Amino acid sequence: MAENKLKLAIPKGSLQEYTLKIFKSAGFDVDIPARGYFLKIDDPEIECFLLRPQEIPRYVEEGKLDLGISGDDWILETKAKVIEVCDLRYAKQKIKKVKWVLAVSKDSKIKSIKDLQGKIISTEAVNLVKDYLRKNKVKAKVEFSWGTTEVKPPRFSDAIADITETGASLRAHNLKILDTILVSSTKLITNTTAWQDKWKKEKIKNLALLLQGAVRGEEMVNLLMHVPGEKLKRILKFLPKLKSPTIKKLTGENWYDITTSCKGKETRELIPKLKRMGCEGIVEFPVNKLVP
Amino acid sequence: MKGIKKLKFGFPAGAIKDQTVELFKAAGYDIQFDEKFQKVEIGDPEIDFLVTRPIEIAPFVEKGFLDVGISTIAAVLETKAKVIEICDLEYEKSALGKIKLVVAVPKKSNINSIKDLKGKKIVTRVPEITKEFLRKNKVSAEVIFSDIVIIESKVPLIADAVVEFAKSENVLRVYNLKAIKTLMENSTILVTNKKAWRDKWKREKIENLTLLLKGARLAQEMAGLMLHASNEMMGAVLKVLPALKKPTVTQLRGENWFDVLTVANKKETREIIPKLKKIGCTDIVEFPLNKVVI
Repeated sequence: MAENKLKLAIPKGSLQEYTLKIFKSAGFDVDIPARGYFLKIDDPEIECFLLRPQEIPRYVEEGKLDLGISGDDWILETKAKVIEVCDLRYAKQKIKKVKWVLAVSKDSKIKSIKDLQGKIISTEAVNLVKDYLRKNKVKAKVEFSWGTTEVKPPRFSDAIADITETGASLRAHNLKILDTILVSSTKLITNTTAWQDKWKKEKIKNLALLLQGAVRGEEMVNLLMHVPGEKLKRILKFLPKLKSPTIKKLTGENWYDITTSCKGKETRELIPKLKRMGCEGIVEFPVNKLVP
Repeated sequence: MKGIKKLKFGFPAGAIKDQTVELFKAAGYDIQFDEKFQKVEIGDPEIDFLVTRPIEIAPFVEKGFLDVGISTIAAVLETKAKVIEICDLEYEKSALGKIKLVVAVPKKSNINSIKDLKGKKIVTRVPEITKEFLRKNKVSAEVIFSDIVIIESKVPLIADAVVEFAKSENVLRVYNLKAIKTLMENSTILVTNKKAWRDKWKREKIENLTLLLKGARLAQEMAGLMLHASNEMMGAVLKVLPALKKPTVTQLRGENWFDVLTVANKKETREIIPKLKKIGCTDIVEFPLNKVVI
């Protein structure tokens, strides 16, 4: 009998670093050798490949891969029929969605979508742009761009459609945003064949649970505190409801020990308030994974 | 009056330097590594550091120039240094477990076994280990010493085979080599000598340092796990949790639910968490640890 193996693709490029980080928090170490794209993952049941996210959806659709990570953008661009297992929500640098925007030079005469009629738009995602134009009933020439798309207007094209996470690159190239074409998130995708295989489905679901737990862990921290009995009710009401808090009575005293998790960003507001409300011994510590 | 007592510590330069700096940090030392002058400072006036390669640390510890140091199993074997191994710090260079010392040959070579090495040239950074290996296998071959990492085209140019450290088959494949035999697994170890080990003050100092380094090292491998489980789930939950450490189970205030707190190996948690979720546990949180002393 053939050994069960899950064929997984990790996206090369902007998502690569964060993907490896999330896998590490999820409990999987992935090693990328100095040269070559044979990845090694410390799970003998997984075979791992490093591929461009543009190609991953198609390979997953064709069954050459069982599982892959790519963005909504490339899934739509390639029109690959894949099953979305879960939303992993991260982008290049943080947990955030990325935008595909139409942009033109700051001093361009193109002020609205209608002004694009008959113009040239340069982009790496030709189908995305064509679909967008069709929806907006505008006819324009869409040219495939091999990269460095931002430098193209106004000499090489009238407009571009490109990905932006912070907008910094667009500003640096003297471009302004005309419209947003798509808001894209990072997805874990599979195909119907793998999803119907009992072993593969189980393996994928467990992996998805851990990866999502790790993504949540990125945003969360743990909070430990001591709360006087008479204030317990008020404080419990006040705590964020992301997780049911763990409440324990301290030995022989009318004090309680509360452990909970909250978003890391909230603590800068939460901790001073908790202190003022009478909590003592407040300790914040990090989270690897959170599975509610 | 006698001056302040000092522990002389051999700090490894080279490939394992960064991990060692990280480990001291994790152990709670505010460590400064001066790249330019290759000096280490941890704010403990009782420890003097010498930064040098692990291959030198082993004999320096044997000779008493150093009381204690971080070296490797291969360095101790190569230098035949008589040292006491205090503990295995088990650094991993990657996800793939311990680094192996292998005999490798170019992919197209017709050397397929150790016997085929007879009369051939073998280039290596560890000639003594290589010679010992050949002696044990009753094969005579010429061993050439080269002090730098041996890669690629150099091998067929100057020798027929190479004895080199490799973290995986992958690395060898990239370098157009194939392994024909593993000589040993390498690991990072903490070593001392008899004299230091008999000195009451030094031994205690070394043992305390070891406890912290080992505790920090273990914490890198482990994670804390907390979760909520109902009374009915507890039997199944306790079966899934690692048996090694007893979990702390506390009843939640006024409910038929329990809070379970334990530590587990990071590799275990990826198996355990999906199982716990299936049992019905809620609020599963895995968190990092600074030190684990069992």
